[in-house]
Amino acid sequence: MLIYTLKRLVAGVITVWFIATATFIAMHQVPGDPLMNDKAVSDVIRQNLEQRYGLDKPVSQQYLIFLSNMLPPDPDFGISFTQQNRRVNDIIKDHFPVSAILGLLAITFATLGGILFGALTAIYRNRLPDFIIMFLVILGISVPSFVFAALGQLLLVNVNALIGYSFIPVAGWGTLMHMLMPSLVLGLGTMALLTRLMRSSMLEVVNEDYIKTARAKGLSPIRIFLKHQLRNAILPVITILGPQIAAITTGGFVVEFVFAIPGLGRYFIQAVQQLDYTVIMGTTVFYGAFLVLMVITVDVLYGFIDPRVRLK
Amino acid sequence: MDDTILEVTDLSVEFATYGGVVQAVRGVSFTVQRGKTLAIVGESGCGKSVTVQSIMGLTPVPPGKINSGTALLNGKNILGLDTKSANQFRGVEIGMIFQDPMSSLNPTMTIGNQIAETLMVHRGKSNRDALREATVLLERTQIPEAAKRAKQYPFEFSGGMLQRAMIAQSLACNPSILIADEPTTALDVTIQAQILELMQELQRTENMSIILITHDLAVVARMADEVAVMYAGEIVESGSVDDIFYKSAHPYTLGLKQAMPSNTANREKQLIPIHGSPPDLFAPPVGCGYYARCPHAMKTCERNPPELFALGDEHYAKCWLQHPDAPTVDALNQMDN
Amino acid sequence: MIDFSPAEKSVAIEQITRPSLSYWQDAWQRLKKNTRAIISLYIIVFIAFFTLFGPFLWQVDPALQDLNQVSQAPALPKQALLSAAYIQWQRIVIQDFPAEPDSYRDQVYAPKSLRLINMATTQGVRLSWNPVVGAGGYNIYRNERYPEGFNDLGLPLGSTYAGNEIGYEDRLGLEPLTYYYSVVPTDGFDEYEVYSVLTVTPQLTITVDEAKARNLVSDTARPGDVISLEFHPLGTDYLGRDMLARLMEGARVSLFIGIFAPLFFVLFGIAYGGFAGYFGGRLDAVLMRFADFVVALPFLLFMILFKIAFGVGPGESGIIPMLIALVLLSWPATARLVRGQVLQIREQGYIEAARLLGGRDHYLIFRHIIPNTMGVILVTLTFAVPAAIFTEAFLSFIGMGVVPPTPSWGSMCNEGVKTMLSHPHELIFPALLISITVLAFNLLGDGFTEALDSRLRSRE
Repeated sequence: MLIYTLKRLVAGVITVWFIATATFIAMHQVPGDPLMNDKAVSDVIRQNLEQRYGLDKPVSQQYLIFLSNMLPPDPDFGISFTQQNRRVNDIIKDHFPVSAILGLLAITFATLGGILFGALTAIYRNRLPDFIIMFLVILGISVPSFVFAALGQLLLVNVNALIGYSFIPVAGWGTLMHMLMPSLVLGLGTMALLTRLMRSSMLEVVNEDYIKTARAKGLSPIRIFLKHQLRNAILPVITILGPQIAAITTGGFVVEFVFAIPGLGRYFIQAVQQLDYTVIMGTTVFYGAFLVLMVITVDVLYGFIDPRVRLK
Repeated sequence: MDDTILEVTDLSVEFATYGGVVQAVRGVSFTVQRGKTLAIVGESGCGKSVTVQSIMGLTPVPPGKINSGTALLNGKNILGLDTKSANQFRGVEIGMIFQDPMSSLNPTMTIGNQIAETLMVHRGKSNRDALREATVLLERTQIPEAAKRAKQYPFEFSGGMLQRAMIAQSLACNPSILIADEPTTALDVTIQAQILELMQELQRTENMSIILITHDLAVVARMADEVAVMYAGEIVESGSVDDIFYKSAHPYTLGLKQAMPSNTANREKQLIPIHGSPPDLFAPPVGCGYYARCPHAMKTCERNPPELFALGDEHYAKCWLQHPDAPTVDALNQMDN
Repeated sequence: MIDFSPAEKSVAIEQITRPSLSYWQDAWQRLKKNTRAIISLYIIVFIAFFTLFGPFLWQVDPALQDLNQVSQAPALPKQALLSAAYIQWQRIVIQDFPAEPDSYRDQVYAPKSLRLINMATTQGVRLSWNPVVGAGGYNIYRNERYPEGFNDLGLPLGSTYAGNEIGYEDRLGLEPLTYYYSVVPTDGFDEYEVYSVLTVTPQLTITVDEAKARNLVSDTARPGDVISLEFHPLGTDYLGRDMLARLMEGARVSLFIGIFAPLFFVLFGIAYGGFAGYFGGRLDAVLMRFADFVVALPFLLFMILFKIAFGVGPGESGIIPMLIALVLLSWPATARLVRGQVLQIREQGYIEAARLLGGRDHYLIFRHIIPNTMGVILVTLTFAVPAAIFTEAFLSFIGMGVVPPTPSWGSMCNEGVKTMLSHPHELIFPALLISITVLAFNLLGDGFTEALDSRLRSRE
């Protein structure tokens, strides 16, 4: 297990290198000179930047400078082009926690809801609760997140109007009340996906021989459900959590956009609109590294839960 | 002296499927004696497994439905009980093991815990006591290093070891009957012999009855005291193992025997296959189920279901050929065929 | 009487009871039984028709602005009154009344006989009232509901600054709705808490010149005629563009990306994965390692990154860069899948048999391997379409997709969400189309999965 984790980490570092390289190449394809933007950069800043990023040097050297700046233990993503004297590291430090909390809440909502609803549909298979939940699941998969975000806001506006004061804020960030609706909206798609997966997983497990064995042993249905069915059914659901964390993190862009949340995603979009090279590159590499780490974490955690993986 | 422990009478089971209603079991009756082995023989899909699973209350309802019948365990009917009442005897009075040990144990639970679970539920033992007893049970089924093995997961066991663990699990509450549904089909031949030997030994020490479901006549010959031959949801012939092997009264029993390789009889003798396939149980035949494949079929067999003819002490066959007026077929009812 | 004579059996024992069906015939049979999949198929055909032939049936320029009907909700065709060109409004000032009150009063009475001058039209609403003794001016308000009190007069339109100026013209974004005008007298600075209300429903009008310019009337039309305005069955957006025409135009963009991006990346994935899987060994390991790297790229970030890397010049729509970016980032999933399938099929007995019989590589690939992976590929393709439509909508929604004024369902949602509270139809229609299309493709994909699952095939 330790060797497996180490192997995954080494592969992860290589993957991050690949992401950084792809980012560098993509950004070098952008037409125009980063410093020849609409907004004139003062000569002092210009000189500083050229020196710092070696913009007057050949591309290969720029690449090396770019890579070496990002090396741990003290990765330095540089200074923002559009906001003077603001380090990209600080931007990430300020805005990423917001996105992370949003994503964490969303994935919690999605996982708990997905497992609960999936188990319910399997218990009530082909009966009314199953049909209702599966109908909602199909909606959840087919309706874009921004529509949910808009509907969520609309709902809040009406609820607040009904109550007479701003019970749950419609937009912004800060308190738990601010976080509820955005994270719910963000988690809906994943929740639908997980519900579907959980349902089919439950139905598969219920036909397994070991469930028949458990019944032949004279165990109560509740015990069979909790100890034999649920646990085995959750396992395949956990394996797709890694990729789903990635989907939720980037899906956060839209939610941050609609709910005016000062997260890194909104900042990234802003940076793209202003062609803020260092912020774009820094954010992309940071997100890439974060996602790679998340996928590895989920896989390793899965190993602890499933003995078949752990003991191999 | 009546030492009957389980008496099944006129059991009929059907399944509602998308294609229609399948009459999987059609009026099956048999008895199991204390300390003896009853083998139920037949080819795939003849209703053997459905029969025992219905007795255990393991057929899913719906789509399954028990149409008629009783199963008296020590005089009490256990057929069609609700889950709570059924759990009074499942795992306690009757233990069961299945065909594929690889998939019959929960992959994410240690072997020890799975055995202990039965003891905790039925005997109210503490976790620690139950685990200790599980180790003892594993030792009794001749699993080496039982204490260590109890802490392992099914995927760390070989097939034969798993079947031993399954047996240990089913023996946890000292049941009076062990139902073994094709217990050796998924195992290597050498392992098969070991498992059968283990079952025989346990039967002797525990004075336990065994219902053995199999399609393998060699296993029947080795294990059984009584044999019931099933075909198309019915028992077509039943009797002692000697009656079945040496005085086969039903053409199907004979067919099974002739299709089995043997190392004692004439080696040049060709194996004779049974042609065709079993009838469609969506619409069971009106007459004899074996009519279409029977080499000795008569006109009456097509329309009239054969009666049950008693041929001797506890030897019965459902075949018109056993009618006193029927023509004699050479191979049937002969000591040496 | 029992008949013991030997039976004469005419029916052959060994017989095939079911007719033989090919893989695809069987799959089609089972798909036909799946009502949801068939309904989805009809929906997809309808949407394809809407996209391809819609613009021929509904020949309205999606870029044309109808300024008489901005943010118009779906409605039947509207009538409008032709009017002459706008004539400058003359302020109404009466001479025999003081402009400023001679002394300050604590209380005044509300303006009397508040009335309309001329007919109220969307060109302008002209009000007048009797002067109020003691007033030094008047404030005029407009509300869309009846004012419930002094604090509920609505939008402040303007003021007059003399007690004897007793008229006002409102030309502020008038629509053919019912308005409640209130006039409040002031002492020149502060308001007295009294007001009069007049209910006015302006008539929708359009000047003759404008109507002629938009080809709505013939040359002989004159003011006072009633004409029909352009019909917008699904309403208009915030710039007065026809929603139906824009939805059709947007469908072309969304479905173009939704269909062609998956087609390209699935084809590339088949080639890549098939190549890696068939030849195996070290080449396979290297190729698949590269695919793993591409999978690890944060998808949406790189979609955006590639988009700016390609650069969208002025006048371009940004569709092609998005298509290329989508293909570049999405192929590995198909490649992995096809590789897995090929590895599996390669080990099957019939491939070995065909090879022993002298089948060459290309024969094995085209005769055996590709046909056997088609089912999985079809399912992948069906699910890739809604995913691509989603991606396009998502990017366009956050303003990183197609460039305005090119409409796509996603960018229309982006515009619609801003006016969601007042004009919900601008969000609802594109959102509904995205959802229905994605839903249909998802259900069809489910249908294909079930129909092509060979495990199910043997079970029935």
